[in-house]
Amino acid sequence: MPLPDPTVVLDCRNLEKSFSRVQVLKGVSFQARSGEVLGLVGENGAGKSTLMNLIGGVHMPDRGGMLLAGGTYAPRNPGEAAAQGVSFVHQELNLFPNLPVLDNLFLTSFQRTRLGTIDRKAARERARKLLAAVELAADPETPVAELAQGERQLLEIARAMDANARVLMLDEPTTSLTRTEAERLFAMVERLRSRGMSVLYVSHALDDVLRICSRVVVLRDGAKVAEGPVDEFSHATLVSAMVGRAMDQMFPPRSERPEPRVALEARGLTEPGMLHDVSLILRAGEITGIGGLMGSGRSELARVLFGLERVSHGDIILNGKSILKLTPRERVRHGMAFVTESRREDGLFLDLPVEPNLQIVWPRSSDLGETAAKLRIRAANLDRQPVRQLSGGNQQKVALGKWLTRRPVVMIVDEPTRGIDVGAKFEIYCLLQELASQGVALLVISSEIEELVGLCDRVLVMRRGELRREFAGQTLDPESILKAAI
Amino acid sequence: MDSRATKLVTVLALAAGLAGCATGPRQTVVGVAFETLQTEYWVASRNAIEAELKKQGAQMLEAIADGDANRQMEQVRNFIARRVDGIIVVPKDAQTVIPMIRDANAANIPIVLFNRPPAKSDAKSVSVVADNYSITKETVTYLAQQATKLPGKRKAAILMGDLADMNAISRRDGFEDALKPFSGRIEIVSRIPTEWNQEKALAGITNALQAHPDIDFIFTSSDLLLPSIVSALKNAGKYHKTGEPGHVWLAAFDGDATAYRMLKEGYLDADGVQDVGFDTAETVRAVLALKAGTTLPAIIVDKGFVITRDNMAQMAPRMWGANLSGK
Amino acid sequence: MIRFTSLARLALSEYFVLALTLVWLLAMLPFVPGLGTPENLKNIVSSALPLLILAVGQTIVMISGGIDLSVTAVIAWASITGGLTISADGGLLAGHALAPAAGVIAMLACGLFAGLLNGLAVAVFRIPAFLATLTSMTFFGGLAIWMTKSKNLHRLPEAFNAIGREMPLSALVTVLVAVLAWWLLRGSNAGRWFYALGANPRAALVSGVPVKAVTFAAYAASGLCAALASVLYTGRLETASPVMGQRVLLDVIGAVVIGGVSLTGGRGELHWTAFGVFFMTVIDNSLNLLGLSNFGILMAKGLVILAAALVDSWRNRYAAA
Repeated sequence: MPLPDPTVVLDCRNLEKSFSRVQVLKGVSFQARSGEVLGLVGENGAGKSTLMNLIGGVHMPDRGGMLLAGGTYAPRNPGEAAAQGVSFVHQELNLFPNLPVLDNLFLTSFQRTRLGTIDRKAARERARKLLAAVELAADPETPVAELAQGERQLLEIARAMDANARVLMLDEPTTSLTRTEAERLFAMVERLRSRGMSVLYVSHALDDVLRICSRVVVLRDGAKVAEGPVDEFSHATLVSAMVGRAMDQMFPPRSERPEPRVALEARGLTEPGMLHDVSLILRAGEITGIGGLMGSGRSELARVLFGLERVSHGDIILNGKSILKLTPRERVRHGMAFVTESRREDGLFLDLPVEPNLQIVWPRSSDLGETAAKLRIRAANLDRQPVRQLSGGNQQKVALGKWLTRRPVVMIVDEPTRGIDVGAKFEIYCLLQELASQGVALLVISSEIEELVGLCDRVLVMRRGELRREFAGQTLDPESILKAAI
Repeated sequence: MDSRATKLVTVLALAAGLAGCATGPRQTVVGVAFETLQTEYWVASRNAIEAELKKQGAQMLEAIADGDANRQMEQVRNFIARRVDGIIVVPKDAQTVIPMIRDANAANIPIVLFNRPPAKSDAKSVSVVADNYSITKETVTYLAQQATKLPGKRKAAILMGDLADMNAISRRDGFEDALKPFSGRIEIVSRIPTEWNQEKALAGITNALQAHPDIDFIFTSSDLLLPSIVSALKNAGKYHKTGEPGHVWLAAFDGDATAYRMLKEGYLDADGVQDVGFDTAETVRAVLALKAGTTLPAIIVDKGFVITRDNMAQMAPRMWGANLSGK
Repeated sequence: MIRFTSLARLALSEYFVLALTLVWLLAMLPFVPGLGTPENLKNIVSSALPLLILAVGQTIVMISGGIDLSVTAVIAWASITGGLTISADGGLLAGHALAPAAGVIAMLACGLFAGLLNGLAVAVFRIPAFLATLTSMTFFGGLAIWMTKSKNLHRLPEAFNAIGREMPLSALVTVLVAVLAWWLLRGSNAGRWFYALGANPRAALVSGVPVKAVTFAAYAASGLCAALASVLYTGRLETASPVMGQRVLLDVIGAVVIGGVSLTGGRGELHWTAFGVFFMTVIDNSLNLLGLSNFGILMAKGLVILAAALVDSWRNRYAAA
């Protein structure tokens, strides 16, 4: 019997897990070593999230087991996992925005004074040390709500380090980060790695994975299908391992389009502090993209177009009539649709099943089964399983699908593929192309420049509340967009 | 549910039910529904009723409605469902009690009202009530006679009870009629509605004393309000005993412990008393007699009495407030 | 093991409360005198009917994510308004042939007004439902007492009293309300809007749900139900009282929560509420018959509602697994 490898921190053996008689993990084994960043990739539904939840103590495996530094590791809840040194930084950060940094770091581990009260002074000292370690320049008393997304993420990592983590799991850490913040994160991860931390890095951003990971494990349909040092993989081979076939293109070809005509016109939209004199035209059968950095006003523009925010000046014309004074409901009835940036917050009714979610905009829509099948929504059933339990990609399809039971005139999609695996992304791109070919005027907001270039016919770039430039045809390339955005 | 468990539970329940059915000769059961036990008067009455029922060999079932008319109706209906032999009820409202009386009539259960009569209707009941009018008239007449022994005019105020309560109306009428012959010597300057509420009484009498600082003749429709009067008089510097200069002539109604004490000390001159002993004995007697099939008059009157400083020694034993603390 | 799973399945099912009620009834039969008599069973039903009407309105509000604490004050206000309209003692329409109908309409108008006021506070002024309805409870309660100077009103028309007093009539009214409510929530398109609003108000707005209108409708429904319950209570007592129904608030919220309607919104069924009402009425009746004082009964109800909330959270945890 071979001697146990001393560098192996986490040893997972034959992990199996089923939910409601659907087997999600079919006997996955792998090892994570100290001083190593292990990339974990796979489509949603491949079992990545479940695997992480097993390691993080959220669920317990049906079969199989884990060893942590040679000893049995079977946490019954996340608290136990954390106590044993396994820190899980979730995609949706578990912070309390209304509380200060200090409280979020030490909520359950405040030291006490001799009087028994909380020793905030000592805590502030501890906090400063931790924050310095992750290079987060923030005052420990700042409310977390005032931190940017990237800073919050570093805070979560600081929290993990305070718990003396031996294994750090990062789930889709860069989804809500700007590029600069992502770079800081990578530097952080590298520093942790060099200090002996074992990092599990789960992400759909395959280029990032290829860049910072030492080894990669690929899951598909609940089983491990590939494993090896990162040098053995390329973007293409990763994708084909994940999907099970070679994917020549990330983006489907441009569909056949009808004659373009103006569907929606925005004129001089201005709201101090938010938008400044924004004017644009959306044409039926055309996919217009909006790029720009976070905070450039893209989502605000979308919300204004849909009627969720007001502007003090300007007008919006839909099919020749001004709709500025209309409520969202009235705009929907005039043919507008809006897939929001955050489907979990305001795009879905998480505790309801697929059917009521699809029916909410146009009730009594017939053939929901057909709609669901066309969108390739994969769920145990359409009328009982809460949407909360579906994968990100399927959730997004439901968030989109509810608008499609009647063909909209104008459809605004904010971050269409956030937190979604490669396979589902492609399906959504196909869907959007098809909608355009049916004459829908599409407005796509995205932070992924590749996505804008690969999907849209023209891209407008926003910066600080203004529409700066427009790119189309020959001028439409990633570098130009990036330059215009900064 | 598991079929074996269901069967087991059912069998146990039936067995217990059958066991419960097998009893000896039934004791007479009387349901007693009080509107409230918030004053000493009600507490004393309740205790007296309980003692009297026990003496007669009957069992008492008690229900307090805490001022909620719906609750009282449910409680009376529950008594009826339990097939009690008789019901004694203290209603809050003379009209609201009528449906309850009707229910009892329909179930052939005798029903007796204590202390408050129902409004006129075709529902059959017996009420034991004090003659509030006569007792008050007698009390106030005595007070007026005493007060007019001194020269000069008297200024009078009355604290009235909740005018939805027949008793309150009767007492007010007794007060007014008692003072009619004295109209030359005694002027009524203030009629204070209190709805039997001590805070309202305090506010009312305070305002009256401010508007008419020379009030020196007060009747309160209930001893319950005496503490409020004492407080207001003290604040106005008018709290003096009989015989002292500046004494305010004071009479009250009910017969509770506060009145007894004030009477002894000389601050209170007269108190109209509902003879609780008589009332409760008659009530219990009535309900048992109705059960036995006797016909009774609709109203049984308690003539009550007036207790003054003059007859205190003789009347104190019959005053329920005097005997509360066993003095 | 088998017994545990089937018991567990029962506990998770929506019939749990109904089963619990029946078990309680059976268990109490030998100990509580008069519990099983036909009169008492009739009493249970007649107590349950107005409570059920109230609970139906509350259910609609809770499903849409709100709560209505003002229902008992509306009962009182509607009661005296009806009295002031049709009482033979100086009511506006005393003795008129259409008086009973006018009284009911006046009371319904009170319920509608109160509901729209609540809806205005919550939907337009964005005041949290708890605070808004607590305030309107204080207001309407005070208004009722002020309008009659704390007095009760009597001598209401016989036909009016009959609605609350005669079981077939009050049962008819209750069934009508329940059917209308069922049609609203489950039989009509608008019904999903209530559930959506309660489940996720932001997503509802984005999805084109007429959020303000639905909020107004929910509170109006609750107000109307309170008014109808008041018709029953007032008729039964043949008295219009400005303090009617004060103790019923605990019963109505308790019944809805015990039934399994979620306090956070988006989840609930009318028959769950019916089971909850049945449960509360049986508990109340049996404890009353046992001779427990009013305070004892309050304590017992408090414990029971707490237990129900615990069971509900346990159920949610296990159902999610």
